[in-house]
Formats: sequence, C-alpha cells, structure tokens
Amino acid sequence: MRTKSTVALASAMSASLLLAACGGGGPSAGGGKISDDKIVLAVLNDQSGVYKDVSGPNSVEAVKMAVEDFKAKHGDKAVTTNIEVVTADHQNKPDIANTKAQELYDRQKADIILDVPTSSAALAVANQAKTKKKMYINIGAGTTALTNDNCNKYTFHWAYDAYMLAHGTGKTVTENGGKKWNVVYPDYAFGQDMTKAFSAQVEAAGGSIGQKIPTPFPNDNFATFITKANSDQPDVIGTMHAGGDLINFVKQYNQAGLTGKTKLAVGLMFITDIHSLGADAFQGTQFTDAWYWNMDEQNKAWADKFMAKTKTRPSFAHAANYSAAMNYLETVQEAGTDTADEVVKKLEGKKINDFFLRNGEVRAKDHRVIHDVYLAEVKKKADVAEEWDYEKIVATIPAAEAFKQVDKSTCNMGS
Amino acid sequence: MSDHLVQTTHVETAASASPERRLPPALRWAGLVLALIVVLALPMMIYPPVAMDILAWGLLAISVDLLLGYTGLLSFGHAAFWGASAYATGLIAIKTGLPFPVAVLGGALVAMLLAVPTGWLAVRRTGIYFAMVTLAFGQMLFFLANWARDLTGGENGLQGIPKTFFGSVVETDPFFFYYAALPLLLLGAWIAWRTVHSPFGRVLMAIRDNPARARALGYNVEKYKIMVFVISAGLAGLAGGVFSVSHGFASLQELIWTTSGKAVLITVLGGIGTLWGGPIGAAIVVMLEDKLASSGFEGIGIITGLIFVICVLAFRKGIWGTAADLIARTRTRQEHKRDIS
Repeated sequence: MRTKSTVALASAMSASLLLAACGGGGPSAGGGKISDDKIVLAVLNDQSGVYKDVSGPNSVEAVKMAVEDFKAKHGDKAVTTNIEVVTADHQNKPDIANTKAQELYDRQKADIILDVPTSSAALAVANQAKTKKKMYINIGAGTTALTNDNCNKYTFHWAYDAYMLAHGTGKTVTENGGKKWNVVYPDYAFGQDMTKAFSAQVEAAGGSIGQKIPTPFPNDNFATFITKANSDQPDVIGTMHAGGDLINFVKQYNQAGLTGKTKLAVGLMFITDIHSLGADAFQGTQFTDAWYWNMDEQNKAWADKFMAKTKTRPSFAHAANYSAAMNYLETVQEAGTDTADEVVKKLEGKKINDFFLRNGEVRAKDHRVIHDVYLAEVKKKADVAEEWDYEKIVATIPAAEAFKQVDKSTCNMGS
Repeated sequence: MSDHLVQTTHVETAASASPERRLPPALRWAGLVLALIVVLALPMMIYPPVAMDILAWGLLAISVDLLLGYTGLLSFGHAAFWGASAYATGLIAIKTGLPFPVAVLGGALVAMLLAVPTGWLAVRRTGIYFAMVTLAFGQMLFFLANWARDLTGGENGLQGIPKTFFGSVVETDPFFFYYAALPLLLLGAWIAWRTVHSPFGRVLMAIRDNPARARALGYNVEKYKIMVFVISAGLAGLAGGVFSVSHGFASLQELIWTTSGKAVLITVLGGIGTLWGGPIGAAIVVMLEDKLASSGFEGIGIITGLIFVICVLAFRKGIWGTAADLIARTRTRQEHKRDIS
C-alpha cells in the first residue's frame, strides 16, 4: 500500500509543478514597432548533406552580407541596427526542419526563416509560418505546391520552381530546333511532374515527345535507358534526374558516345553539379538557370564580393538568399515595423529590380516571386576562362513567361 | 537435424535470464516513480516538441527491444510500422476529423495488420536473414508510399495533419499536446512491460536463449514469434502516430531504412534487453541531433557515429545495461559482506 501512496504523492507533486509552469509563456504579440527591439533572420538549410554546396553555410554568409550592406546603406536612418542572423541545419529531414522552425520562431525570436531545401521540409516550415503568423521565404525547394495547394499568407517562393525549370528548357530548346524529344525521368513525384510540365511545353512549342522512359530512383546504371532513349534518333534527350543520379546519368551518356551527337537537356542542374564533374563532361548541355554569376558586370561585382568572403563562386541559391534577405530588410524599413502582417502587405505586388531579380515582381495572389530566368549552355572546356566559368547564356526568358501563369495557380489564401 | 533447430542467436543482452529480479522491489518502484516525474517534467526542461520526439523515438526503441532483446530477432524494418502508422494516422485525422488519440490508435491497428503477413514470412528465418526480410518489406512500403502520391503526397509528404482534440489548447500549444499524447505512449510502454513480465514473455526469452529446447518443450516457436512481432509493430505504430500528429505531417523520411537503423542504434545505445534503455538512448540521440543542428558544426554524422562506436566498444550492454549491471554488482558485494560479518 505504501508504494501506491508514493506514486499518488509523486503524481500530485508533478501535477502541481505542471500547473505552476503553465502560467508564463505564450507568444508575445506586437508591442513596439520592432518586436524584441531586434530583427532576427534565420537561415534553415542543409549544412552537412547533399545540398550543402548548393546552398548551406555559404547562404548564411550571403544573408550576413545583406545585413551588412543594409546597415551601411541606411546608417543612422535604419529602422534598427540590431539585426541578428541565426541558423540551423535541418539535415534534409522534415521532422528536424519542423521542430527547428518552431524553435526559431518561438525561442530565437526569428522574424523570418529563409531557404529550406527539400520539398517535404519546405512544406512543413510553410505550415509553421502559417500557424505562428511569421514570415518565411523559400529559396532552396523546387515544389510548386508552395505557391499552389499549400500556399499561405506568410510564405513566399523566391528563386525557382519545377515549373520554371521545365518551361524554360522545354520550350526554348524546342524553339531553337530540337523538335524530336525523348525524356528519361526518375519514377517519383518530382520526375513525373517535371516530365508532365516538359511535355506540355515541348508540344506547345511545336515539338513532340517520342518516348517517356521511367527509371528507378535512386539508380546507378542508366546504360539501358540511354540506349533505349537514343534508339529512334531524337534531336534531344531530356533527363529529369537531379544530384547524384544526374551525375551518373551524364557520365554514362558520355560513355555511350552521344556527346555532340544528341543534344542533352537537363531538368534541374546547379552550377555545383558542373563543378563536381567538370565542364567537359557536361559540355553542350542545356538547362534553365535562375541566375548566373558571370552573366554581366552587376552579377560579377556581387560574385566578387561573395568570393572575398567565402573563397568560392556563388550558386543562384546564394544570390537568392542575399536578395531575399535584403528585400525583406528594405520592406521592413519602408513599413517601419517588422510585424509580419504589415511586411506581407508591403511586399505583396511589389516590383523589385536588383542584381538577382531582373524585372522582378512579388505576385500578390500566390506569393510566387517572378523574374527573368535564363537558358544556359555548358561551355566547352577550351572556352572556360577561369574556375566556375562554365555557362553561356543562350536566351533570356522574360519574367512574365518564365513562371506558371498567375490565373492557373490553385492557390487560395483565404483571408 | 535441420539447420535452424540448432541455431542459436548471438545477441548479447544485458539480461541473460530474468532482468527484473536483479533489483529489489523498493528500488524498482523508486525508479518507476523517478522516471514518471522525469517524463512529466520533461517539457519544462527542454523544448516541448523535442521532448515529444524523445518519447516517440523511445517507444519505437522499446518496440525494437521487444524483438531484439527479448526474442533475439533483429528487425531492420521497423520504419515500415512507424511510417505506415504515421501515414494512416494522418489520413484518418485529415479525412474524419476525429480526435487525434483515436487516429493514433487507428494507425497502430494498421501497423499491426501489416505486421501479420510480414511477421508470418519473416519469423521463418533468424539472424541476418530475418533482418533482410524486414528491411525488404520496409523498402517496399517506402516505394509504395512514394508511388501512391495522390494518397501520400509523394516526396512532398502528407501535410497538414490536425491535432484535433475537442477544440482545446492542446491543438495549438505543443506544451499541452505533450501531456495529451503522453498517455498513449505510456500505454505502449506498459504493454511492453506486461508482455515481458508475463508467462508469454518467459517463453519469448526461452526462445531467444534456445529455440530448439523451447520447441522440444512443446511451444510453437513460430506462433510466439509472430505474436510478439505484431505486438512490437503495434507499439512502433503508436509511436509513429504520435510523432506524425506532433509534427503535423508524415513524410517519406518516416519509411526510409535509415529510420529503422536509427531505431536499432537507439536501442543498442540504451541497452538491449532492458526496455528502459530505449527512452534513455532516444533522449541522447534526439537531443544530440537537436543541439548539433543549431551548433553550426558540419559533421553531425561524425559525432553520433563516434558516440555509437565508443558505446559498442566500451559499454557492450548499452548505457542502461551497464548501469543496471553496476548496481546489481554493488548489491551482491554488499550482501556478501553482510554474509561474512
């Protein structure tokens, strides 16, 4: 009997402890113009896994650069000079991203979360932003769900998405003479979506897709798929693979001796992919890029500043992180407050022209940030003038065409 | 004599005979009360969503331990049950709007139903073959979930799982959600404890130590193994359901084989054949992941891997196993002294 009463006593004690602890807490709302007298920008991305080089720690550096530039620009007139950059590594796991996002908003008083690659993680964070009524600008993830079915008032999508990639490459390559296509894609949601979007674009531009060849995901051996894709002599072979699979695919495409014979178009490629395999492996490959550091003087100037900090050239994700952070701070400056609702109101419909966003606009209806994007071709090895100088811009796709038309978006933000 | 009759498992456990007899009842009750207080106070000491994760992973580790420590079966596919329940719970919660505990119980039921055919196939083998069959099944579910995107959302995950709970504060505040979900996990832990400390559990341990003799004594070894496999899957399902409701989504991460690996790692770290080891291992692994994520350190895998290697080399019986051993040893020494004097 004694043991039973001990249990009862212990639970009673714990229960009273519990009640005592509940008194405090609760999110602190509004108050001053700048919450907690500081602006906190949080970068949540992959700092140890596959997306480390594409974005990762150097995106944190880019955001810090934006903060410095903002302070230098506004000096004493800045709405506050107390600006903090915090970061967390989500390791590409959506559950960690989800917990960290809550922690960043609640505990570290983050006013905005930036980046977040991996679509499941990105969508989880979007839900947190909606619940906590705090801002979130996604850069690293490609899922169009962020600006369609899963859109919300506090979430913006800055740099690219799957539609943009498919549209840019599919349409432009076809218009430039690649009429007959075969597409090889990994058989999961991203690959299927990309293939669907690609087909629509290629057919709209007067081309045709002969074969759509699914491959397992992930996969190492693409030899049979490449042979099959080349069997009816297409003008272009499109691949929707990404990351490690893409690198394997391209290696085997070269080994099959197709380089220079059948054009290769890639769905999603980052400059870091080219860097890891070398320009000669990819030469002639066409893909859509959201931004390229060596495109003109303006980009180059920023890339040089970035290089001085990080000893490497920026990917488009780095530039986009800077751009998103900078424009967020500018909007806070305009609004005179960092209250999310006010900033969102100012940001919606805003037209922006900076080194990253050319002819940019933050669409009010679905929070898709549109801007000019580019069809790029990987240079021949002989033409590469310096390290990271891998791309030649073939065509500019104007902002209005580059992204999914706003009236086709299924986004419904409610209030 | 056929091969599998003489085969014994080579799993080293902290409890070679009957673990619960090592500590005196008073100490065991004190331990239980202490554990309960720690569990109740946990979300005041650490961030509530992280506390919830610890308990969910802890129960998953307990479910693995039930097989690994008490039956001698290494399951390398428990992500299948954890993940299947995560998705099932999510779908039930989204489609029906029932309170979340009902959804979680539904999810656990789905996991148990899945475990019947899997267990039926897998228990015919032991050791590495058993691990491979469970792993294969887990991967099968992973690809199925990836493919059935209309239902699961593919790699976007099943998003927006509600924490429906009679419109109370539980739905919005993770601190209160913790206490609302706690009974489900405690129920799971209690079921595991009851299973081990019952005649049924004795038979399991007999099977673990010597399957041939258990069979000779007239026990239907396969049937017992299937039963414990289904119970274990149910516990993994409970944990997975709570996990997905707590996070508000279920993703492919829940089904991938590394999740099974993490569950085994937690179990071994905490100590196999102890039940208590699971939550302790989970606390270490989850908090480590959480702290390292904010540390700016780039090699998270290196740290967790290193700790695991050290544990396996230095504390073969895991953290709890080693601790329990030490307590037991001091006690026997004291008893010896008393006997002499």
